Amino acid sequence: MATVDLWAKEGYLSTPDGNSIYFWGFAAAADAPAQLPGPLLLARAGERVTVNLTNLLAVPVSLVFSGQGRIEAGGGPARPQYDPDGRLFSFTDVAAPDGGTMSYSFTPAFPGTFLYHSGANPPVQVPMGLYGALVVRPADYDPALPAYKTAYGFGTGTEFDREYLLVTGEIDPELHRATAAGTPYPIHRFKPRYWTLNGRCAPDTMLPDGVAHLPHQPRGAMIMAQPGERVLLRYAGAGVDSHPLHPHGNHTRIVGLDGRLLQNGTADLSYKRFTVLVNPGQTYDQIFQWSGLGFTPENPIPTVLPNIRNLAVGEAGWTMWSGSPYLGRKGDIPVGVVSYNEAGEYHFMLHSHEEVKITNWGEFPGGMMTMIAIFSSLDPGVGVLT
Amino acid sequence: MAIVARRFGATDGRVRTPDGGEHYIFGFVDLTGVPEEEIFARRGRAQLPGPLLEADEGDEVFLTLTNLGMPTRPDLDDSHTIHWHGFPNQIPLWDGVPEASLSVPVGRDFVYYYRPRDPGTYMYHCHFEPVEHIQMGMVGPLIVRPALEKRPEFAGRRFAYNDPTTEYDREYLVFVTELDADAHAAVAGVQGFDWTEYRPEYWLLNGRSYPDTVRSGPELPRQPYSGLIFASPGEKVLLRCVNLGYQQHSLTILGITLRVVGVDAQPLRGKNGEDLSYYKNTLYFAGGQTMDVIFTAPEPGVYPLFNRNYHKNTNAGRTFGGMVSEVRVE
Ligand SMILES: [Cu+2]
Ligand SMILES: [Cu+2]
Repeated sequence: MATVDLWAKEGYLSTPDGNSIYFWGFAAAADAPAQLPGPLLLARAGERVTVNLTNLLAVPVSLVFSGQGRIEAGGGPARPQYDPDGRLFSFTDVAAPDGGTMSYSFTPAFPGTFLYHSGANPPVQVPMGLYGALVVRPADYDPALPAYKTAYGFGTGTEFDREYLLVTGEIDPELHRATAAGTPYPIHRFKPRYWTLNGRCAPDTMLPDGVAHLPHQPRGAMIMAQPGERVLLRYAGAGVDSHPLHPHGNHTRIVGLDGRLLQNGTADLSYKRFTVLVNPGQTYDQIFQWSGLGFTPENPIPTVLPNIRNLAVGEAGWTMWSGSPYLGRKGDIPVGVVSYNEAGEYHFMLHSHEEVKITNWGEFPGGMMTMIAIFSSLDPGVGVLT
Repeated sequence: MAIVARRFGATDGRVRTPDGGEHYIFGFVDLTGVPEEEIFARRGRAQLPGPLLEADEGDEVFLTLTNLGMPTRPDLDDSHTIHWHGFPNQIPLWDGVPEASLSVPVGRDFVYYYRPRDPGTYMYHCHFEPVEHIQMGMVGPLIVRPALEKRPEFAGRRFAYNDPTTEYDREYLVFVTELDADAHAAVAGVQGFDWTEYRPEYWLLNGRSYPDTVRSGPELPRQPYSGLIFASPGEKVLLRCVNLGYQQHSLTILGITLRVVGVDAQPLRGKNGEDLSYYKNTLYFAGGQTMDVIFTAPEPGVYPLFNRNYHKNTNAGRTFGGMVSEVRVE
C-alpha cells in the first residue's frame, strides 16, 4: 500500500426501515461518498504506511491507529492535542476544519486486524461514523501459495481459503439528528436504535458489495464458502458497546486477538467458541469451517420431511431456504414465497445474541445479523478482501 | 449409543415473581410419553426454563416439536422452532431458523434430529422472531454427556468432558435470563413493544428470582428448577452456567473459587492437550455463552451465589431479589 488518502466528509446512511441518517465518515477520494465503515486499509507488516487525511467537516478530525506504535503526524511524533485551557481534545494531531490536512505514517510491526478512527472528540465522532478497519498482512503473505495465504504468517496454522471482515457499530439517531442540527446531545444518554455490521443493518447486510442504493454503505456482510473450507472471519468492534456474536453452523476457532497471534512460544493458545463477545476496540481473527453431517440423497436423513403445506416456510413472504435437506439441491417452496436461494446453498445465521440488537428500532429482523452461505461450489474470487 | 425420543410442546403460560407479580410467558412443556388424547390439556402450561434436554455423546436424538398454540392469545398464530444453540456442523433443516428453513405452525409437529458428538453445556431456544420469543421464555438447557462415562474403568463416575480432570459428584444448572414485565404485559395485551426500550426489572436464575430461587418444594409448578445447590464437604460440584438473556452477567459465590473447565461446550484443553482450565471468583459471560465450572465444597455453611452487578439482585428495585441463591454445604 504505502500511501492512502482519506477525506472526512458528511453523508447519509440508509436503514432498511426507510430512515435516512446524517453521518460523518471517511471517503476514498475527494469526490467519493463518505462511507461506513471507512475504506479498508490493507497493509503489510514491516512496510511503511502513510495516510493523508483531508478534513472537509466543520470540526477538527484526527486519526488513531489501534495497536500501532511510533505513529508520526505532520513529520514528527503524533502528540495529544490540547485546547488553550489545557484540556485534551484529540489523541493525535488534527486536520483542521474545512479543508485542513494531516499526514500520518507508521510501520505495522505485526500482522492482524486493527481499527482506525478519529481521535478528536471520539465520544461523538466515532459513533458518528469516523471509523474503519486496518488489516495487516504478514510479511511473507502470498495468496498464490496456500501455505503463505495466512492471517499470521507461514507455519502459524492460520491458513485460510476465503476471508471476511465484520465491523460492528451502533447508531443512536438522536445523536445524528442533534449533530446535524447543531443542538446539544447528552452523550452519556447514548441509546442505540440500530446496530450495524459493516455499516449496514439487516437485511441490507446480506446484499452484495457496492449496491447502487447504498452509496455510503458499500460493504456487504454476507459470508460465503464451500464445505470444509477455512474461512478467516475478522471481527472488529468499532463502536462503544459490546456484542456477543454467534454464528450458526459451527464454532469458530479464535486464532488472533487484537491483532496478535494466540501463541506463546510453542504453546498454542487458540480456542473454539460458539459466541464471542466483541468489545469496543477489540478484534478477533477466527477460522470458521463447516463440514456438514454427511447427508446426501444417497445417504438420506433419518427423518421424514413433512409436506411443506403442513409447515411454515417463508411466512414473511421470503425465504433463504432451498426447500431441500441436501446441499446443492432444491425442493418445493410454497407458491407466493420469494426464494433468495440461488443454488441449493445452506444458510446459517450469524448475529448478536443480545437479540434486541437484531432489530431495526425494535422490529425484527434487522440490525446486527447476517448469513453464512455454504455453496456446493463457489467461485474462488468470492471472499477476497479488497 | 441409544435412541433418545423426546417431544416438547410450544405454548404459553404464567410465571410468578416473589413480589406477587404474575407474568405471561411463551415456553415449552414436556410432552414426552404423554398420550395423544392428553396433549391438548397441556396447552397453557409452559415452564420456565423449558424442560432439560440431555443426551449422551453419540446418541441419536429425535426431538418432536408440537405447536400447541396460545390459549391466552388465541389470535396469535405464531410458528415456533427449536434451535440447538452451538450444534457443530448442523444443517439448516434442523437448525430452527425460520428464515433459513422451516418453522412449525399451530397444530403441527416437526421432528428435529441430532447426533451430538461434542459433550458439554449448550442451550436451546425458539428462533422465530427471537427477540420476542426468547424473552417471552422459549428457552431451555441442554447437556451432552461424554463417552468417557461409558468406559468400563470409569463406570459409575461422572465427567463434564472426555477428560478425567472434569470429574464431579453433583451437578447443577445455573441458567440466567432477564424479565421485562412491560414487554410481557404488552405481548399479553396484544400491544406493540419497542424492543430497543427493553429494560428488565427481574433477573432470573433457573426461571426464578430470589427468594423463590431458594425454595425447593412443589409450589412453583411452572418454574420447576430450584436455584439451590447442595453438597457435602469435599464433594466436587459442577455448575453448568448458561446465559440466555440479553445482558452480560457477572456471577460469584462468596467464599468459593470456581475452576473453569469448559466454555461454549469446549473443554479447556490446548491443541496439544495442555490444561488451559483456570480459576475465577467471578464468571462474566454474555448472552449465548455457556461455562462449565467445578468447585470443591468447603466446610459446612451457606455460601451466597449472586450477580455481582448488584442492581440485578433486586425484584423491581427491591433488595434482595433477582439473581441470588445459595450453596448449602452440609
Ligand atoms: Cu417461538
Ligand atoms: Cu442461540
